[in-house]
Amino acid sequence: MPPIIDPTKCTGCGVCVDVCSEDVFFGSKKGKVPVVTYPEFCVHFNCCAYECPEEGAIKVRIPLPLQLLYKGGDR
Amino acid sequence: MENGALSEELIQTDVLCIGGGIAGLMAAIRAGELGAKVVVAEKGNTLHSGRGRAGNDHFWCYIPEVHGADMELFLKDCLKGPKLKLMQAGTSMSVLRTFLEKSFDIVKLWDSWGIPMKYQGRWEFAGHSFHGDVLTHLKYEGLKQKTVLTERAMEKKVEIMNRVMIFDLLRNKDGVIGAIGIHTREDKIIVLQAKAVILGTGFVDRLYPPSVPGWLASVAGSLTLTGDGRAMTYRAGAELVGPEIPRRHVGPRYFARYGQATWVGVLRDTHGKPIGPYVTKPDKRYGDMTPEVKGVLLEDYMKSGKGPAYMDCRGISDEDYEYMMHWLVHEGNSSLIDHMKEEGIDLRKNPVEFGTYQMVPEGKIWINEKAETSIKGLYAAGDESMGGIGPSASYGWIAGESAATYAKEAPAPKIEKTRAEIEERKNLVGEMRTRKQGPDWKEANIALQQIMQDYAGPVRSEVLLEAGLSYVQRLKKKVATTMVAQNQWELTRCLETLNLLDLGELVFIAANERKETRGLHNRPDYPLTDPMLEGKGLFVKQVRGEPVLEWRKIA
Repeated sequence: MPPIIDPTKCTGCGVCVDVCSEDVFFGSKKGKVPVVTYPEFCVHFNCCAYECPEEGAIKVRIPLPLQLLYKGGDR
Repeated sequence: MENGALSEELIQTDVLCIGGGIAGLMAAIRAGELGAKVVVAEKGNTLHSGRGRAGNDHFWCYIPEVHGADMELFLKDCLKGPKLKLMQAGTSMSVLRTFLEKSFDIVKLWDSWGIPMKYQGRWEFAGHSFHGDVLTHLKYEGLKQKTVLTERAMEKKVEIMNRVMIFDLLRNKDGVIGAIGIHTREDKIIVLQAKAVILGTGFVDRLYPPSVPGWLASVAGSLTLTGDGRAMTYRAGAELVGPEIPRRHVGPRYFARYGQATWVGVLRDTHGKPIGPYVTKPDKRYGDMTPEVKGVLLEDYMKSGKGPAYMDCRGISDEDYEYMMHWLVHEGNSSLIDHMKEEGIDLRKNPVEFGTYQMVPEGKIWINEKAETSIKGLYAAGDESMGGIGPSASYGWIAGESAATYAKEAPAPKIEKTRAEIEERKNLVGEMRTRKQGPDWKEANIALQQIMQDYAGPVRSEVLLEAGLSYVQRLKKKVATTMVAQNQWELTRCLETLNLLDLGELVFIAANERKETRGLHNRPDYPLTDPMLEGKGLFVKQVRGEPVLEWRKIA
């Protein structure tokens, strides 16, 4: 469930916790890897990933029911 | 939290902006600039809140050097477009004119602040217009708009209170004197005393069921936009107009994203036939206007078995493809682009299915050209009084100016005289926090959404609307005495849901009064569009606890 945090890259700076307007990280403590308390409230706008200072530390995964439907050959 | 006791914090200010979106921040900047003490109360974080939270790329405005010297003619042309006509149906002509007159100044201001409003050194207009018609929307690079506006507000000494959800206005017999809210993280009630209050809380995006069944976060728009401003305005006795008017956008099916006009392609059926008459090949200047003329057509295609409709960008030139991808990023769609990369979806090869999104009721707060509501000291701007980015930015500015000017002369409010109201609301939230068992916000919200969809949805009739109204009222009563919030996050959602319940009730009441079929307000029991209602709006306000409806001409 989105977002996914890579604990080896996350420094616990708390920027994602600070900027998420849906507050999916509610209850997270500064200095620690954030907890995704309300994953189903994520709206996948990438705001956390956009603000994260560590390359690749946070990624927003698109849940299956929301994924794009399209025409054309599969890879 | 012990014994349901939330601590109380009192804050005094001249101007309170409720909601820190584009309108709220613009209002705050202007009021701050004019010397008022300003507080912005935002339930998320102003850096990434509202419909502009991740960016935007189109700004309705009037630029004389582009559109010619005749503003009246431009306005007339603008309202020919179905999008603007519907969006501005509850807006007076004097407000529209005031906005257009102001809009170019705001464009120049934003550009000077670091929101790039020019593309390759020129004013670039595209989208939202029919081929050959006047182009109404300026393309701009809005990716960082919320950061720029937040920083600008802080420069003007505006106090930004993130994580504060205001849920009711406080007033005396003359007008508004403040508001009450909660901290969304700490066990705290916030009472704000203000000489003037500006509402800028945006649309009502969570009233109808979203694209993906059971997945509330798949709403098109913004999940936390729950019409807080309209609901508290209504409860405080100000006028709303047109809550029964529904609007539906289209965009990528299930991965709900606005910004359909940013796509450079043709909407085609599964056999490759364009579903509308407007474009036959991708055109970066004039996109496919079919969804703006009839967005629900895509849903009709599915229901009638004609099959899915696709946004088909095949045949696009490399240059136009780069152009589209550039603007998709600024429109706030980077997650969509990341997803396409990951899945190997290439818009030059793969048509993407589009769908019709959930209903969003209009139901605006009625304002005059100074952004004043029908209550003294209370102003509104942005999507809750006049939809769109250009209008939000321009009317935010105007509201800030009006509120700061009013606050200079207004007497110091005596908030303690509203102590009984404050205590009543403290009890309401305290009870939700201390109840041990009962439905949570999500149960209540889903129950409401299904009643809205099935009784005031695509088909509406007197019997449906009367049944639906009684169900919503019963739900409201039940929820008021049973809903449970385990923490402040859930309490925020509960208060949002209570606002949605009030607004849902208004949809039923007003939809029953509109005894005609018009646009998506589909009444099989009144199948004609009544010419007598042309140019009129249905105004609603609460008088002694009851809704009072009135048809008035919108001039």
